[in-house]
Amino acid sequence: MTSNRRTAAALAAAAAVAGLLAGCSGSSQQPDGGPVQISVVSLKPGSEQSAFDAFEEQVRQFEAANPGIDVTSQEYEWTGPTFTAQLAGGTLPTVFTVPFTDGQGLIERGQLADISSYVEGFGYTDRFNDTVLRAGQSEDGQIFGVPTAAYGVGLHYNRTLFAQAGLDPSRPPATWDDVRTYARQIAERTGQAGYAQMTQENTGGWMLTSLTYALGGRMQSTQGADVEATVDNRYAEQALGLLRDMRWTDNSMGSNFLYDWGTINQDFAAGRIGMYMGGSDVYESLVQQNNINPDDYGLAVLPLAPGAEAGLLGGGTLAAVNVRATPEQQEAAARWIDFYYMSKYLREDAAVLDARTNADADQPVGLPELPIFDRATLDRYNTWIQPFVNVPLAQMSSFTEGIFEQDLAGEPPAHAQEMYAVLDSVVQSVLTDPNADARGLLATADAEIQTILDRG
Amino acid sequence: MSTPTRTRPPAPRTPAAAPPPASGRRRGRAAEPVVRGIVSPSEWRTPRVRTGLGLTQVVLLAALVVVSLGPMAWLVKAALTPTQDTLRDPMAFFPNGVDWANLSTAWTSVHIDLHFANSMIVAVGAWLVQLVVATTGGYALSVLRPRYGPVLYWLVLSTLFVPAVVLLVPLYLTVLSPPLLGASLINTFWAVWLPAGANAFNVLLAKRFFDNLPGEIFEAARIDGAGPLRVFWSVLLPMSRPILGVISVFAFVAAWKDFLWPLLVLPDPDLQPLSVRLPTLASSIELDILLAALMISALIPVVLFLVFQRTFLRTAGLGGALKG
Amino acid sequence: MTTWFRRGGFSTFLFLLPLIVVFGVFSWFPIVRAAVMSVQQTNLVTAPRFVGLDNFRTVFEDPLLWTAVQNTAWFALIALVLGYPVPLVLAVIMSEVRRFRGLYTAIAYLPVVVPPVVAVLMWKVFYDARPEGVFNTILGWFGLGPFQWLQSATTAMPALVLEATWAAAGGTVIIYLAALVAVPHELYEAAEVDGAGLWRKVWHVTMPQLRGVLLVTLILQIISTSQVFLEPFLFTGGGPANSTLTVLLLIYEYAFASSLGGDYGAATALSLMLAVFLAALSALYFWLTRSWSTS
Repeated sequence: MTSNRRTAAALAAAAAVAGLLAGCSGSSQQPDGGPVQISVVSLKPGSEQSAFDAFEEQVRQFEAANPGIDVTSQEYEWTGPTFTAQLAGGTLPTVFTVPFTDGQGLIERGQLADISSYVEGFGYTDRFNDTVLRAGQSEDGQIFGVPTAAYGVGLHYNRTLFAQAGLDPSRPPATWDDVRTYARQIAERTGQAGYAQMTQENTGGWMLTSLTYALGGRMQSTQGADVEATVDNRYAEQALGLLRDMRWTDNSMGSNFLYDWGTINQDFAAGRIGMYMGGSDVYESLVQQNNINPDDYGLAVLPLAPGAEAGLLGGGTLAAVNVRATPEQQEAAARWIDFYYMSKYLREDAAVLDARTNADADQPVGLPELPIFDRATLDRYNTWIQPFVNVPLAQMSSFTEGIFEQDLAGEPPAHAQEMYAVLDSVVQSVLTDPNADARGLLATADAEIQTILDRG
Repeated sequence: MSTPTRTRPPAPRTPAAAPPPASGRRRGRAAEPVVRGIVSPSEWRTPRVRTGLGLTQVVLLAALVVVSLGPMAWLVKAALTPTQDTLRDPMAFFPNGVDWANLSTAWTSVHIDLHFANSMIVAVGAWLVQLVVATTGGYALSVLRPRYGPVLYWLVLSTLFVPAVVLLVPLYLTVLSPPLLGASLINTFWAVWLPAGANAFNVLLAKRFFDNLPGEIFEAARIDGAGPLRVFWSVLLPMSRPILGVISVFAFVAAWKDFLWPLLVLPDPDLQPLSVRLPTLASSIELDILLAALMISALIPVVLFLVFQRTFLRTAGLGGALKG
Repeated sequence: MTTWFRRGGFSTFLFLLPLIVVFGVFSWFPIVRAAVMSVQQTNLVTAPRFVGLDNFRTVFEDPLLWTAVQNTAWFALIALVLGYPVPLVLAVIMSEVRRFRGLYTAIAYLPVVVPPVVAVLMWKVFYDARPEGVFNTILGWFGLGPFQWLQSATTAMPALVLEATWAAAGGTVIIYLAALVAVPHELYEAAEVDGAGLWRKVWHVTMPQLRGVLLVTLILQIISTSQVFLEPFLFTGGGPANSTLTVLLLIYEYAFASSLGGDYGAATALSLMLAVFLAALSALYFWLTRSWSTS
């Protein structure tokens, strides 16, 4: 008798454990008739509290305008490994962003939701810059990702270090020879790195590609459906030669050769780097995450070698919707994309509201951008937000004036991130081994990348 | 799963039970100067050995202080100075005074309280799951002995030969869509707790300990009419404190140190333990704040260690006894 | 069935339930799954496809595999040279400390208590390669350096090992101390009767008595160093130029580094290969410990 009761108690305990197990799994079903719940990406981890506050204010504005939608936000920074884990884990929010380079791959693998019908409803699909929109379109023209921002690679420089080194902060280098000379001068006179280069987490390949483009080379060539790796070209070799000279002959590149996107920004904001290449949109992050002193900041166009072949590597960000979202969530998600990323470019009230919210929270307003629609639309947007601009635009004039003269070239069409990963170690070799054989490294990398491309 | 000897030993040599309580006591006594070591009492009295050994020991202590405490002391100093001091002259002693504000900034901007709490939740949960699995399983296999017991025990032991690394990917995919449950465990603490419970070493420790308890006690309790649950709760567990202590320390320390697994299964920053959160923030927060955050994160376990030093070291030594 | 129930078979089963569920779901099932996945191609979206030994071929043809194997072996070797004798010497000296032994052990053990991630991030600052870096400043006092530490393919791996040894040595010291105390003092007395001096006692009594512990810690250290991940992951990301890419880091990269979805097949295939190696070591360990416990 007693033993039976014990058994029953044990059974109950086991059932309770099972219940706990089942209960913890947090199903995300929405109750019928309740608000549609979506989750969206907010800002990068470690951003200032005021930036998060401004973001939440925009969430409130959106919810007020869309009473049937409930938005939760989560911090987010796109990096290869975290994105894969979230993709596989099904923990990506309803709305997330990916770089242009991954749009096609994700669409082919069926990882993004087709949001054509919702986006077309907003009435501006035909106004997108065609090449930009293509990054988020499938072969048959359906829209899976909305381009929200486009950047070109620029040369970021520290005006204070320039001044300390006896250089004129309002005259950034115009050629790569200038870059080398300036870097040496900064290193000699200030003791800081004159020039630094990203090398980790695919950024090494990304920036080597940028430099190669700027010198006149390309990393891939397309013939019909076939893509061939052309990493082993003389411009890439020249790019590595330039890095090698700055590192080993001039010793002007400081002492850290394992920078990724986050750490190079961190050291630049801390005044430890004279110049570096990076996307033209970095300033926002330098403010939000790294607390940079605005007086230090300067942005110049990347020097392009003379000749028709030299091009500026550009890319951008796509906002996409989780393929696992319900149709209601997908529609709500598209509305959020429209509200948060797009409408400011097209409607004055939206532009002013966005700019004011950010300016009130001391977040950067008025950064130089590349057009995702056309140049005229962007110019009009810039006049709308004129009163709220709080970034030192004068210190970026080299970029804003020069960028539209430059030939913008897209990132390599196939497996760009995987190619960048292979190239990371090439750049690291050149910067950490004085005897590195640039040509041999490129040849090996070329073969490896070709294998990746052939695998498809 | 990273550095030399940090991983848990796959199996003990002697029946764990042999006498853990007794051996603990013996070790306690050994620390007193009654028992001799390699050097004999007469050798101790010769001046050459005495000064030589004494000098070696002083040098050793100095070396230990520099190597073990040095980095910690530097961390404390660097946490309280502005970034530029650390960058320009890291070995100067407070060249520009003390910057206490670093600590509060680190505490609030890194949300150390939240992530520390997460670390505790992860560790306590993993500890509980491991205790439950090891004690109930060990009890059933050792005392209740069902007919299929040996097969089950063999299946458990065989997992000792499968290193954790093989399971990284399949276990991750299992946690994404566990059989029976249906819903993903990602972003729940269960994803860390439950896999921690599948630890054959614990089951082995518990079973061998129970095997060596006098069987007559269980027999007597059963004759008195105690059911299996009563025997487990009122007879077995009270007698098992030593082995529970060993399992507890191993479980707690392992959970506290784990990095890769919680990194994979707890992508939500609000759930991440300190060890997972700190590297993410390292590249965005300023150096002095990072160092302050590191100091606070190191200080908490160090203080706990100093307070519970005896228990800790005894168990670590016991672990060694089991290993050897 | 009913007799089984009445004899308490069911309540026994209930006691085993936590073990069966937890091991079943989180150990046995994933082990089987690993074996299956190693011959499949899967991206979690489309249905898995049987590909035979293709995954193993992919791994074998990857030039990074040999880099990773060499690096891991190199890490294990330096860890052995650096990390194996040091704790032993420390323990032998410490076992002779008469006063304040607790102080010695506490200080020696302290680094083990520091969370590994905190230790690595702290050492990353120490390894600043500028002349103003922490280590370079200290070595500069003695006219040494500046060294490149993590910034050079030749010094990066030793730098990783140095930190790993710092973080782990204390634990090994405690194990050796426990073993040293257990050496029967009659053996020393007998040796003294034979006229043995200090060194001969250490060599002919202490060492043979520690043989068991020494072999076991050796194997345990090899097992854990072949799975090294945290240090290369946080210090260098496998760089510079793949010089610190270890096997486990490569597994991680197969599975999680590509932003378009991982190659889980290759990752499990490589895991299995590593597992066979480690299982062999574990078996050796098991066999050794068992033969001693019975002798």
